[in-house]
Amino acid sequence: MADKVSIYDENGELAEGVERIRTQCYFCHANCGVLAYVKDGDVIKIEGDPDYNNQGGLCCRGTSALLHVNHPARINHALKRAGEKGENKWEQIPYDQAIKEVAERLNQIKAESGAEAVASAGGTTRTDDWARRRFLNQFGTPNGFHNALLCWIPTFMAETVVAGWSPFETDLGAAKCLILWGMNPAASSLPSMHGYTDLQLAGMKIIYVDPRFSETACKADLWLPLRPGSDTALSLAMLNVIINEFLYDFEFVDQWCDGFEELREHMAPYTPEWAAPITWLDPEDIRKAARMYATTKPGCIQWGCSWDQFGPASATGSQARQLMRAITGNLEVPGGDGMPGPALNFITDEELELNELLPEEQKAKQIGSDKFKLTSWPGYTLISNNAKRTWGKTLPAEWFCEAHGPSVFKAILTGEPYQIRALICNATNPVNSYGDSKMTLAALKKVEFLVTVDYWMTPAALFSDYVFPAAGALERPTIVTHYGATDSVMGGRRAIQPKFDRHTDMSFWRMLGLACGQDPANWPWETEEEVYSYIIAPLGLPCTDWNDFVNNIRMYYPPLHQNKYVTRGGFWTPTGKIECNSTILRELGYPGMPTYLPCAENDIDNPELAEEYPIVLTTGGGFMPYHHSEHFQMQGMRYLYPDPYYSINPELAEKLGIEHGDWCWIETQRGRIKMRANVEPEVDPRVVFVPRGWWFPERDTNIDLDNPFGCLESNTNVLTSVDEWDCDPMGGSWANRGLMCKVYKCTEADHEWNAKDKTWSIPGCAKNPGISTDPEDLKHRVLRWEKIPFEAPACTKEVPEGFSWQWQNDALYQDSTQFRLDDSGWLIDPKTNEYVDAHTGWYYVAAENCLMDKATGKKYTMEREEIAELAGIRLYPGQDAPYAVPEQLTWDREKGYARLGDKPYIYNPESGWLIDPATNVYHDAYYGWAYDPTTNGLIDEETGKRYTMSYEAIEE
Amino acid sequence: MKHHYWEAPIVIYLFLGGLGGGIMCLTAIMSLIVNPGTGSLFFVPMFFALAALAIGCFFLVFELGQPLVFWRVWTTATAIIKWGATLLVIAMFGDIFWLLGYLDVLPLDWGFLGAIASVFGGGTPVFATIAGIAGFGIMVYTGVMLSTLKAHSFWATPALPVLFTISALSTACAAIALSLGIFAEPTVALLAATEEIHEIIHVVDIILVCAEVTVLLIMILSFLGAGNVTQKAVARRWVVGKTAPLFWLGMIVCGLVLPFFLYVFGADSAASTVVAPVLVLCGGLLLRYLCVYSDERAEIPGENRYYNRTADPHAEFVEHWTYGENMY
Amino acid sequence: MTRYAMVIDQRRCIGCHSCTVACRTWNDLPLDIIYNPVVTEGAQGKWPHVHRTYTPTLCMHCANPECVPCCPTGASQQDDDGVVWVDSKKCMACKVCVNACPYGMRDTSVLGPRLHRFVRKCTFCKDRRAEEPGSMPYCVQTCHQKARIFGDLDDPNSEVSKLVNSLHTERLFTEHGTEPQVYYIPDLGGQR
Repeated sequence: MADKVSIYDENGELAEGVERIRTQCYFCHANCGVLAYVKDGDVIKIEGDPDYNNQGGLCCRGTSALLHVNHPARINHALKRAGEKGENKWEQIPYDQAIKEVAERLNQIKAESGAEAVASAGGTTRTDDWARRRFLNQFGTPNGFHNALLCWIPTFMAETVVAGWSPFETDLGAAKCLILWGMNPAASSLPSMHGYTDLQLAGMKIIYVDPRFSETACKADLWLPLRPGSDTALSLAMLNVIINEFLYDFEFVDQWCDGFEELREHMAPYTPEWAAPITWLDPEDIRKAARMYATTKPGCIQWGCSWDQFGPASATGSQARQLMRAITGNLEVPGGDGMPGPALNFITDEELELNELLPEEQKAKQIGSDKFKLTSWPGYTLISNNAKRTWGKTLPAEWFCEAHGPSVFKAILTGEPYQIRALICNATNPVNSYGDSKMTLAALKKVEFLVTVDYWMTPAALFSDYVFPAAGALERPTIVTHYGATDSVMGGRRAIQPKFDRHTDMSFWRMLGLACGQDPANWPWETEEEVYSYIIAPLGLPCTDWNDFVNNIRMYYPPLHQNKYVTRGGFWTPTGKIECNSTILRELGYPGMPTYLPCAENDIDNPELAEEYPIVLTTGGGFMPYHHSEHFQMQGMRYLYPDPYYSINPELAEKLGIEHGDWCWIETQRGRIKMRANVEPEVDPRVVFVPRGWWFPERDTNIDLDNPFGCLESNTNVLTSVDEWDCDPMGGSWANRGLMCKVYKCTEADHEWNAKDKTWSIPGCAKNPGISTDPEDLKHRVLRWEKIPFEAPACTKEVPEGFSWQWQNDALYQDSTQFRLDDSGWLIDPKTNEYVDAHTGWYYVAAENCLMDKATGKKYTMEREEIAELAGIRLYPGQDAPYAVPEQLTWDREKGYARLGDKPYIYNPESGWLIDPATNVYHDAYYGWAYDPTTNGLIDEETGKRYTMSYEAIEE
Repeated sequence: MKHHYWEAPIVIYLFLGGLGGGIMCLTAIMSLIVNPGTGSLFFVPMFFALAALAIGCFFLVFELGQPLVFWRVWTTATAIIKWGATLLVIAMFGDIFWLLGYLDVLPLDWGFLGAIASVFGGGTPVFATIAGIAGFGIMVYTGVMLSTLKAHSFWATPALPVLFTISALSTACAAIALSLGIFAEPTVALLAATEEIHEIIHVVDIILVCAEVTVLLIMILSFLGAGNVTQKAVARRWVVGKTAPLFWLGMIVCGLVLPFFLYVFGADSAASTVVAPVLVLCGGLLLRYLCVYSDERAEIPGENRYYNRTADPHAEFVEHWTYGENMY
Repeated sequence: MTRYAMVIDQRRCIGCHSCTVACRTWNDLPLDIIYNPVVTEGAQGKWPHVHRTYTPTLCMHCANPECVPCCPTGASQQDDDGVVWVDSKKCMACKVCVNACPYGMRDTSVLGPRLHRFVRKCTFCKDRRAEEPGSMPYCVQTCHQKARIFGDLDDPNSEVSKLVNSLHTERLFTEHGTEPQVYYIPDLGGQR
C-alpha cells in the first residue's frame, strides 16, 4: 500500500502527468466503461466509469485488468516452436519475422491444396473479426468459424426468417413483463441485472426459465425449473396455449401474419400435456407462464445463450419464441422487442469484410454448409439478399455465416470432405470451448500447421508452430456496434500502447494479409482508431475522430425502434409479413414452422441409455468469477474458486453416498471428468449442473501431453457431443444441455492427481478420441431431418439480365444492388425509398429533376449527360441561357453562366446573388459588392466602403 | 470458520504461563506461610517456573508478526494483555531475585554464588511475595484473557478462568512434587519439611484434580445441554465428536482420573510420585490445547461454506505465478 | 459529527464477488486476506421450493467495537467518524483483536515476510476517500447492483440515513453489544 502512486495532488486535482482515459473493459460482452489513469505510458489505476451504463461498477474480471496486463504468464513475444509439438520449447523471434514465416507457409499450403485447406478458429468476442474475414476472403478460404453456433447466431437467423431481424432491442422501461430464458444475467451481464432489479422493484414481473436455481432465479417472480434441454418443448407448448386460448393479438395477426392458420393447425399437437413429461413441468405452470406473458403486455423475451445449445432443437425453439412475440403483438411496440435492423447510419462490419472477393466456388466448399444451411453460405445468402432487399444493408458474414467448427476439427482427423492442413486459432481455447474436447485436442495435435494468437499459453498454443502475443484490454480501443446488427455505437479508447511485442488481432491479420501478398489497397488502415473513425464518420457527429468521439460522446443511441413496420408498410421478410411458415427455411429444405426434435439424449427416446446413464447433465451458463475458459490465471479470483464444483441435489447425493466437497467422476458416453460435489438443492434431484471452462494453466505442461494443463480433467466439454446427428440440422448447434450422465465418487486411487499414476487417467484419452470419426460409421446415422424437397413456383415474368425474380412477392431485384425493380422501370433503394436509375445506379433528385452519382457527387441530366457545376451552380456551356438573365449581367455562352462585367463571379439564378467560386463569398448582382454576414451589409472590396443592403453608403 | 487464529505457540504459552505462575504462587504460600524457612527446597521449582515463563514468553513473542513493536504493550490503558505482560515481567523479576537469594543452594563451590546469595538473601520473603502475587495474577489472567473475547462463546464464560486457575495450580503441584528439594541440604529439618510439603502438595493436588474434573464436566455438559448454538457445537465435538477421544481418554482419563487414583492408591510408589504428576502436567497442556482450538465463532450464515471453498494460500497457482518470472 | 455507515441491500446482491476482488485490487491485499467476503446462505429448502440469500460482509465499524479496547499496542483504533482501523506500524500481530471480532473481519496474512505481518482490516477505504474527496469505498463504487450504499449516518439527507430510518434493516450479531454500523435490507428469499 505504501508504494501506491497517487493519481491526485494535494488539491484533489489529477496529479501532473496523469491522464484519465475513458477506456473499456474487454473481458466479456458487457464491455463496461473503465477510467484508466495513465502516467508515463503505464496504467497506474483503473476504476469503473460512473458515466457509462455500468455506473462505475466493475466485476471481478474488470477490476483485475491491471493484473491481466502485467501477469507473469502472459505471452509477450512471438514464439516459434523450438522442440517437438507440445514440448513447450520456444524461440522468441521478432513479430515481423514470425508473420513472414507463417505467410510463406500458408501460401505454400494454398498453392498445394487450395485456400480452403486453411481454417481459422475463434472464440467469443475479444477481437475485431471483420479483419479476420477480410483476410480469409482475400486469401480465399470459407473456413473461418467461432463458437457462434452456441451463441446467438442460430437464434438470430431463426428470428430473422420469421420477422426480418432479431428483436434484441428490449424496451424494458415500458415493459410490464420480462421473460429471462436460458440466461443468468446475475452472472453474465451485471449491468443488465442492475436494470432488471430496478425495474422489478418498480413492478415489472420477471418470468425465469432455467433448470438451475441460479443467482437470477432466486430473484424471479415466476421460475420454471424445467428439464435441461427441454426448452424448445416448453416454447412450443406456450405457443400452443397462446394460440388455443386465443391470447394472441387478433388485429396484428390478421394484418401482419402470413400463414397463421397453417401454424394453428401445425401447433395443435404441442399441448402442455404433451410437453409435461418432456419438460417435467406441471401443464398448469406452462399455461400460467404463457398466460402471464400473453396478457401482461407489453412484454419482452430476452435472448439467452442457452437457446443455441440444446442440440437438435435449438433454432426451432428460437423460431417458436419469435412467433410468440409476434402473435402476441409484442414485436416493435413500446415496451416490447424492437428490431433495429442493420446499421444504416454507420459502416457495418459486413461492409468491412470484402465478402465479394470470395469466389462462389470457394463458398460452396465451406465445411458444414451442406448440412447446417441456416448459418452458412446457403442460408446466409438467402437471408442476406433479403436483408439487402428490405433494409438496404445486411448482416456480417463473420459469425453469421461460418464453417461448422467441430466438423472442421473432424476434417483435420479424417480428411473428410477434404484435408484441413492449417489452422489459425485466434482468441480461443478450443479444447475447452468447443464440444467433444478429446476429439478437438486430437485435431489440434494432428493438424499440420497450427498458429495461435492468444494472451496465454493454452493447450492449443502449446501444440502450435507459432504463437503470437495478443494485446488485451487497456491495450486496444473498443467499439461496440454488435457488428452493425444494430444502430447504436459505444466505445472506449486505448489506454496504453500494447506492451512488449503484443499486437491487436486487426494488426495481426493486416500484417499477415500483406505478407501473404494481399493488395495493400485492401488494408488501408493501420490502427483500430483509423477504422473506428471511418466506421462512425457517416453518423456526422460533432467529433473529429474516434478518440474525440470517446472523449465527448462515447455512447450514441438513436431512438428505439418501434412501429417501423407500420410506417414502412411491412416486415422485412420476403413476403413483407410475419412468416408463420417461413419461406426461407422451406427454400433451404427445412420445415417452415417450428417442429419439435427431441433432445440429443433423453430417457423417453433412449431408455436403455438412461438405464446406464440415469442423470441429466446440464453444462449450464457462465459462472462468476470466470468467463468461459478465461481468467483461471487471475489469482484473486482463483483464490475464491480454486477447484471445480458441480452441483447435485442433496437427495441424489445421499442416494449416491456423496458428501459436500467429495471428488466425483461425471461420465457420459463420451468420457468422464472429475469435479467436487457442491451438495445444494439448486438443481433437480434428477439433474447435475456441471459448469464449464475448467483447466489448470498453472500446471507444468510436460507432465502429460494427453491432458496438457489438465484440460481434459475437469472440462465439461469432454462430456458433450458434436456428432452431427446430435447437432441442430438447421443452425448446427451442438448438444451440451440435457445429455445423460452418471456420477460416482472418485476412489482413493484416482483421488490425488499423479503424473505417473495411469489409473486416474480418463478412459479414451486424447490419443484415442471417444467419438467416432470413421466416415463409414457416419453412414449409418442420418441427420434428424431429411431435407424436405422444395420447389419454388415457376417464374411468370421475363427476367432481364442481371436481375433475379423473388417468388414470394413476385418482384424483380437487381443482383448487384438487390434493389427492387419498380413497375415504372426504376430501381428503388430500400434504405431511403429513392428512385435509382437501373442502368447507371444514379439516384433521381426530384428537386433538380436530375440524376446524381452518390459515390462522386456528380450530377447528370435525365439523358445521363454530366451536368457541369461550379460553386454549386449548374452551368450550361454552349447553350443559350435557360433562365432570364438580369439586364446588368452578361450571358457567357462559352462557359454557360451569367456574369457581371468581367468580374470572376457566377450568377446564381435561384438566389439572385453572384458567387465567387474561389472564395464562395456572395456578391450582389448590381455592383459586385461582397456580402458581409457579420454586419449584414455590403462591402466594395476595391474601395473598402460599406453599404447597407439597400445600397446606401455607411459613413464611418 | 476461516481458520484458527491462535495455534500451538499460544497453547504452550498459556500452559507454561499458568504452570509458572502456579509454582510461584504455591512456593510463596508454602515457604512463607505454611512452612517458613523452607525456601531452599523450592529452588528448582522456582527455576522451572522462571523457565516456564521465559519459554512461554518466547513462544508468545515468536508468534508475533512484528515482535519489535512489543514494547508498545505498556502504552495502552485498557488492554488485558497489557496486564498479562506486566504481571509476567514482575513475576519473572521477582523469581530471578528470589533465585539469586538462594544461589548458594547450588552444589557448586564458586565463591561468588555465596556472595550474590548473601546480597539478595535478605529480600527473599519480599521477592517470594511479589512473585507469588504476580504468579497468582498470571494463572487467573490466562483464563480471563480468553474469557474476555466475547466473540468466542466457548471462551467467554466465567468457568474458563476458574478452570484454568485450578488447572494451573494442579500442574504447579505436580511440577513441585517432581522437583521439590533437589539441591537442598540434606538436613533433618529440611528432609522433614520436604516430606511434610510433599504430603500437603499431594493432598492439595488430589483436591485440585477433583475440582478440575468437576468444573470441567459441569462446564462442558452445561454447554452441551444449555449452551448457545456455538457452545453446543463445541461441546458436542468434545463429548461425542471429533475431539471426543482426546477429551475423554486424554483429558479426563489420563489427565485427571488416572492421576487421581495413582495419587490416592499409589502410596509412595513411583506411580504416585512420578507418573501421576507427569500425567497431570500432560493433562494441563491438553486442556489448553482443547480450549484454544475451540475458537468457534457464531457463523454468519454461509460463512463456513465460503471459507471451505477458498484456496490454500500455498496452492500451486499461487506459488507458480506470485513468485514466477514471465515465461513467454 | 460524521458517522460513517454502510447499508447493504440484500434484495440487490447477486453474489458476484466483484466487491471482494475489487477490494483486493485497491488495497493490494495478500491473497489470503479478504476484507469483504460475500457469503451465501442456501440454496435451501426442498426442490423446487428453495430460497437463497447473499450476505455481503465487511468490518462492521461498530460503534462499540470489541477490537479496539483489547489492543495492547494501540494499533487498533477508531476515528471520530467511526472508522476502525489498524496502524500497521504499531501492530505486533498478537491477534487478540482478530479473536475479539465477532464477525471474523480481521486477519493477518501467512504470505510474505515472516517478520512483517500485521493485522489487516477494512477501513471503509480511508486512504481512498482522503485522496479523492467525495469518493466512495471501492467496494461501493464497483458494485454493479448498487447493493452497497455508504455514507454519513448523521447527515439526515444522506442515502444511508434515509434508508436506515425509513426501511426495516437488520444487523449482524447485535447480542454482543457492539452496535455494528452495517445495516442490511434483507431479501425475503425465494420467488417474490
